[in-house]
Amino acid sequence: MKYKVISIFMTGLLVFTCLDSLLAQITNKSYRVETIKMPDGLTSETGAVEFLPDGRLVACFTRGEVMTYNTITKEWKLFAEGLHDPLGILVVSNSELLIMQRPELTRVKDTDGDGVADLYEKVTDDFGLSGNYHEFNYGPVKDKDGNLFIALNSSSGGGNIRAEVRGQINPLGRESGSKGQMFSNLPYRGWMMKLGKDGILRPFASGFRSPNGIGFDLEGNLFATDNQGDWIGTSPLHHVQEGKFYGHPGSLVWQKGWNRGNPFLLPIPVLDSMRTRGAVLFPHGIIANSPTQPVCDNTSGKFGPFTGQLIIGEMNKERIVRVMLERVGGELQGACIPFLDGNGLRKGNNRLVFAPDGSLWIGQNSHGWLGDQGIQRIVFTGKTPADIYSMNLTEKGFDLTFTEPLDVSVATNPENFKFRHYYYKYQSKYGSDQFDIQNVPVTDIKISNDRKKVSLTLASLKPGYVYELNLGDIKTSTGDSLNNKLICYTLNKLKSSSVY
Amino acid sequence: MLALLSIVQLYAQNNADTIRTIKIDVLVGLQFDLVRFNVKPGEKLNLIFSNSDDMSHNLLITKPGARLDVVNEALKLGQKGPELDYIPISSSVLWSIPVVNPNQFRTLSFTAPKQEGVYPYVCTLPGHGFIMFGAMYVSSDGRMPELKDDPNIPPNRRAGDNSLSGTQHTNHQVKDQAVKIKTLHPYTPVSPYIYRVFIDGASPAAIAVSLPGDLSYCWDAGTCKLRFAWSGGFLDNSELWKGKGDVSAKVVGNVFFRDKTDFPLSFSADNKTPKLDYKGYKLINRYPEFHYTINGIDVYELILPNVDGQGLIRTFSIPDVKNTVWFNTDQSDGVKYKASAGSWEGNSLRLTPKEARKFSITMTMKEGGML
Repeated sequence: MKYKVISIFMTGLLVFTCLDSLLAQITNKSYRVETIKMPDGLTSETGAVEFLPDGRLVACFTRGEVMTYNTITKEWKLFAEGLHDPLGILVVSNSELLIMQRPELTRVKDTDGDGVADLYEKVTDDFGLSGNYHEFNYGPVKDKDGNLFIALNSSSGGGNIRAEVRGQINPLGRESGSKGQMFSNLPYRGWMMKLGKDGILRPFASGFRSPNGIGFDLEGNLFATDNQGDWIGTSPLHHVQEGKFYGHPGSLVWQKGWNRGNPFLLPIPVLDSMRTRGAVLFPHGIIANSPTQPVCDNTSGKFGPFTGQLIIGEMNKERIVRVMLERVGGELQGACIPFLDGNGLRKGNNRLVFAPDGSLWIGQNSHGWLGDQGIQRIVFTGKTPADIYSMNLTEKGFDLTFTEPLDVSVATNPENFKFRHYYYKYQSKYGSDQFDIQNVPVTDIKISNDRKKVSLTLASLKPGYVYELNLGDIKTSTGDSLNNKLICYTLNKLKSSSVY
Repeated sequence: MLALLSIVQLYAQNNADTIRTIKIDVLVGLQFDLVRFNVKPGEKLNLIFSNSDDMSHNLLITKPGARLDVVNEALKLGQKGPELDYIPISSSVLWSIPVVNPNQFRTLSFTAPKQEGVYPYVCTLPGHGFIMFGAMYVSSDGRMPELKDDPNIPPNRRAGDNSLSGTQHTNHQVKDQAVKIKTLHPYTPVSPYIYRVFIDGASPAAIAVSLPGDLSYCWDAGTCKLRFAWSGGFLDNSELWKGKGDVSAKVVGNVFFRDKTDFPLSFSADNKTPKLDYKGYKLINRYPEFHYTINGIDVYELILPNVDGQGLIRTFSIPDVKNTVWFNTDQSDGVKYKASAGSWEGNSLRLTPKEARKFSITMTMKEGGML
């Protein structure tokens, strides 16, 4: 109803401004969402967005188009066409891209300088392809040494394998007789792969269900998100390390020397002991249902105060998520928090990239699932957002560091820090309920001299749980309310001297 | 005993007849397959809600006109949503089926309201409720508005749009026409042009090419060979482009050639399975020239339409081959062959290494030879 009233009231202004931004409630004064005009006739389900060295945006779309966008003249131009569900671009130069499509990683290059690609060269296709609809491929991303990484979606139990496939079929990669669970009948479905500079594609890490988003942080750690479903109680962010298994069993049949038969038939505790848990869990229906590409804020402040943290898209909500990580007991773990909700942002936030000017560009997609189409950008206005900068585990609770000094009276009131914890089950069933949901009382609060850090002592801390914190009406010393009041910390490991 | 049994059976039958069962499933694209139905006031009903989608959904029946309010109340549940199955506590929610995960179903038994009216049903998972809904018409006369004028169902489900019918064979012609009218790209594709697609009759790494003169072919990067060719159109990608479900690009036109050989080229008469490696393609005046290796030896293949519109001209170049090259055919593959070089021995063309550096094969459709 509210929208209707506004739209009638503002009808006269509609001529001058875009309907989308008017109808959205604009509450965030630190970040502004802008919508990019897409070319007529384009079904702009966006598979990737990147920037060329000359400052143009390059994007690919699910019907196979690759287009460039001049951010100054606002002109779109076709660079390549005919690709099969392209979902990732690595820019080599203004005239050369590596593009991940269904059948292969392809070098797409303009060799005669007319601005249109004329060479489509295979970089690697050394992985299986069954033709199952869910065999999306992600990446490539490049490490500091020049190695490329790609991720291969498992095949969907909602579909099957085609009569003619590419690669050797291993029937053990599927749970027989069951409908629904994802599977891996062809080599390396469900794996992260590493393409060395020698051109050889090697298996790197296993256990992925639907890793629609891979990326590095500034320290060179490799991350992948995955999607809630069978064996994945809630969507995780994985810190991907060589040789590790991240939980979805089908892919294990392609592990070198695998001799334990159908991995779906192994007892769950055995699989559980083999797996590496998510560094961060995104509670389903609370933070994200379908997280996408992690990009690291490398803008040195041009995008605000979160340099070095990860920004991650979400398909199902008008939301971008932020992740902060720390090393505890030698492993990365940390917290996720909404970065931006609404304010004109659409759903389907599938691919993200920072522009040379420090704005964040977002390509949207749906492709049969919940989402949207088009491209938007988020611009930092220069006003520091009132927000949690970081959440760190301590021996007895958590330290919250804020971007701005806080009003002491509200920041030291335990009523303003409501914790609850819960965990998700590792199981073949689709998703997981939240188990052992309990409120966790805050027993002590201290605030630092600069009023930016609040140290909270909790009545108990348990590893293996998500700690969800809801903040009350905390204000900065200048009276600003926080942009986000919900944050979830994934406690895999306690600080070594924690005693409870 | 026998008498008793038959009475029980009779009773069961009666029971089944008096309680009507409504089945609702989920279509791709956040839609219920049943978008509206009619019941009588006070009618007893069983509702079976099955979920063949690959994400979770619930189903709530609300008071007339209350759908959006309920959807917004569900959104407000925030982090409490998951544990409450996204069902808000509200007097506007009449009945609800909690979250049904993929490939599961749940049932609901209820008695339709005595009050006539249009009772919405909706999935209230975050984001779903604005597009995923339908209408239960409660009326004694069973009347509903024309589908195209029904304001109680999602706009894309009103008459004329069969794209979400879930059946791929009905109204195929209508769909083809719709595809032709609708803009497929931000430009008008001009032949020759390429789609990499899933298509029947090739590996999943297929390359489909539209040629001028309404000719098309499928060259398979998974098997490094021309698989089949057709005339009279190109592809209908409307199902494929939806993204979800095991579907294929559909051939529009008539297939006139289908490769029947193990492999069309061999470098000796020993018929050993060649080791193939696809390398890519280069566009020459927009025509792709495929590059692949056979046992490590480079092969280039360019396919052009024959000027008479009745077939294809395949130009091969194998610059570094040192052996005799054989080009193999099969009599049942639908075409007649002519070669620019070499000599035919049965169904195989024999070429010297020098001849094989560059040669052309013209394939012409046989009379009435549609495959």
